[in-house]
Amino acid sequence: MLALDLFVNGLIFGLFYALMAVGLAMIFGVLKIVNFAHGEFYMVGAYAYVLCALKLGIPAWVALPLAAVAGAALGWLVERTLMRPLYTGYASWGLLKDEYAVVVTFGLSLLLINLVDKVVGPYPYRGPVLIETSRIALGPILLNGQKLIAAVVSAALLVGLALFLKRSLRGRQIQAVAQNRLGASLAGIDATRTTSLVFAISGMLAALSGALLAPLINPSPDVGAFPAIKSYVIVVLGGMGSVWGAMIASLLLGVAESFFAVYVSYDYRDAFGLLILMLVLLFRPQGLMGEKVREL
Amino acid sequence: MSDAPDFWRKRLAIDARAALAVIAVLALVPLGVSSPYWLGVLIVSMYFALAALGWNLLAGFTGQFSLAPAAFAMLGAYTTGLLDYHLHAPLAIGIPAAIAATAALGGLLGWIVLRLQGPYLALTTLSFAEIARVVIGNSYVFTRGDQGLNVPALMESRVGYYYLFVGVLVATLLVLYALMRGRAGRFWLAIRDDATGAESRGIDVVRYKTLAFALSCAICGLAGSLYGTFSQLVSPELGLLLQTGLVIAMVVIGGMGTLTGPIVGALVVYLASEWLREAGNVQMIVFAAAVILVARFFREGLWGIVTRLRSRPSAARGAA
Repeated sequence: MLALDLFVNGLIFGLFYALMAVGLAMIFGVLKIVNFAHGEFYMVGAYAYVLCALKLGIPAWVALPLAAVAGAALGWLVERTLMRPLYTGYASWGLLKDEYAVVVTFGLSLLLINLVDKVVGPYPYRGPVLIETSRIALGPILLNGQKLIAAVVSAALLVGLALFLKRSLRGRQIQAVAQNRLGASLAGIDATRTTSLVFAISGMLAALSGALLAPLINPSPDVGAFPAIKSYVIVVLGGMGSVWGAMIASLLLGVAESFFAVYVSYDYRDAFGLLILMLVLLFRPQGLMGEKVREL
Repeated sequence: MSDAPDFWRKRLAIDARAALAVIAVLALVPLGVSSPYWLGVLIVSMYFALAALGWNLLAGFTGQFSLAPAAFAMLGAYTTGLLDYHLHAPLAIGIPAAIAATAALGGLLGWIVLRLQGPYLALTTLSFAEIARVVIGNSYVFTRGDQGLNVPALMESRVGYYYLFVGVLVATLLVLYALMRGRAGRFWLAIRDDATGAESRGIDVVRYKTLAFALSCAICGLAGSLYGTFSQLVSPELGLLLQTGLVIAMVVIGGMGTLTGPIVGALVVYLASEWLREAGNVQMIVFAAAVILVARFFREGLWGIVTRLRSRPSAARGAA
């Protein structure tokens, strides 16, 4: 039964990873940059949820959408203030585009961590749970109630995102801009607005991931580093910029890690993921799924 | 053809002279300041200046944006520490060994990531840095893990250490100046500005990129090794991403792709951080904000602002 247990737990963690990773993949899709502050979107979501619920006494189910709003606002603000130079004709910059993106997002990550550390304090908070039941039996597997709820909400969000990207006008515009920014804008799509939308959605999903996990992880200011590194591994594994690849790779990584931690080594679990990242980038830079799934 | 290199050399000569002037001022400090605390602060800022010069060679001059400078400082420090811990090797062997080991590892990493650019390169070097840190932090038997290693001191006197760092800084600066002035430097700049163009003009891109990696990592390794003997303790914390963030902050604030920029940036950032720490621990908030603002609005950094201020009055005079 251990194997089944590990499998289910791995899948659940994969769902959490996916919420972060799809946002990172979408940002890479439209701007071809890695957002090194993505873990801090997650952290801000976790804090928004915890502080709303604990300090303002807002019920947990209301605090969750508030955290989503906070994440979306942060993502939108970051795009408006810092990402514009990447695509509005600053081609002759001394500091090149890729370097600018790394420096600014890395700086933003440090800024947010230290701001929260200063304003809220370095101590971890314990978030309120969404459901009081501590153990739910799912056939032979016992699951923590909060974990199950969080997994269900994550799965719903991912399905919602997939439908949004496939079916809705805005979603298709995002796909178009990711495929060809110039072509999309010639076809009358407002690429600038679409990029803002991508950042808002990415920020929202990362924040929701943080908020859903807040009761399980007890957020502290540097809590985002760990899921961020997971997301880098996942977007590389799934093919940089591919949302579908990122979803599949998240589940794969979740399950693989869950088994690796038990059967091989817990301490080296993170190094294992990063090693995969290096190997994929070196030998198969298009990702495991290859070109075919790179629709976005 | 003949004008461009001269212009570059002239600018580089001014740059190098300014850097030497800054170091000369640093060398005079112990005559007036005897507080071991402030000398220690300056020594640590010189450690960062060395690491910043090393990273700048790779990112600023060659255009290879690595996220592993702190990891190489850690690896250099651990090479010296482990040689002493396991083999009781004297520092006269331990420090050169740190340079050799980090140069070899850096060259290897550079050769591995040869085809990668931009975000791909950043992610790969970041992974390398984190793997190195996790492995060192978890190999309790071999490295004593998070407890860190004790390293013997090179000398007793703090002033002695101070001048050792000043000397190493001058030597590194002169080596970089000589290289940047010659063929290697122009090849590196060509690779930074247009790798394909450089290759098509017959520049051995593989060789020069690998060389830049090896040299840059060796400078970081030397910095880490010296820092280890100064603090007499090395721990995996030397290789934290936060430390890399500090090095990047220093170079960006000081001015990327210059010789003075990294040194001035390291001094300004580290000294200011001591002040701001007393003013309520806001130093990291200030630097992170400063990095974003500099990258967004003053992309040439402090050195760029200074050179522009310097050239503006003369231009105005010419017009009048």
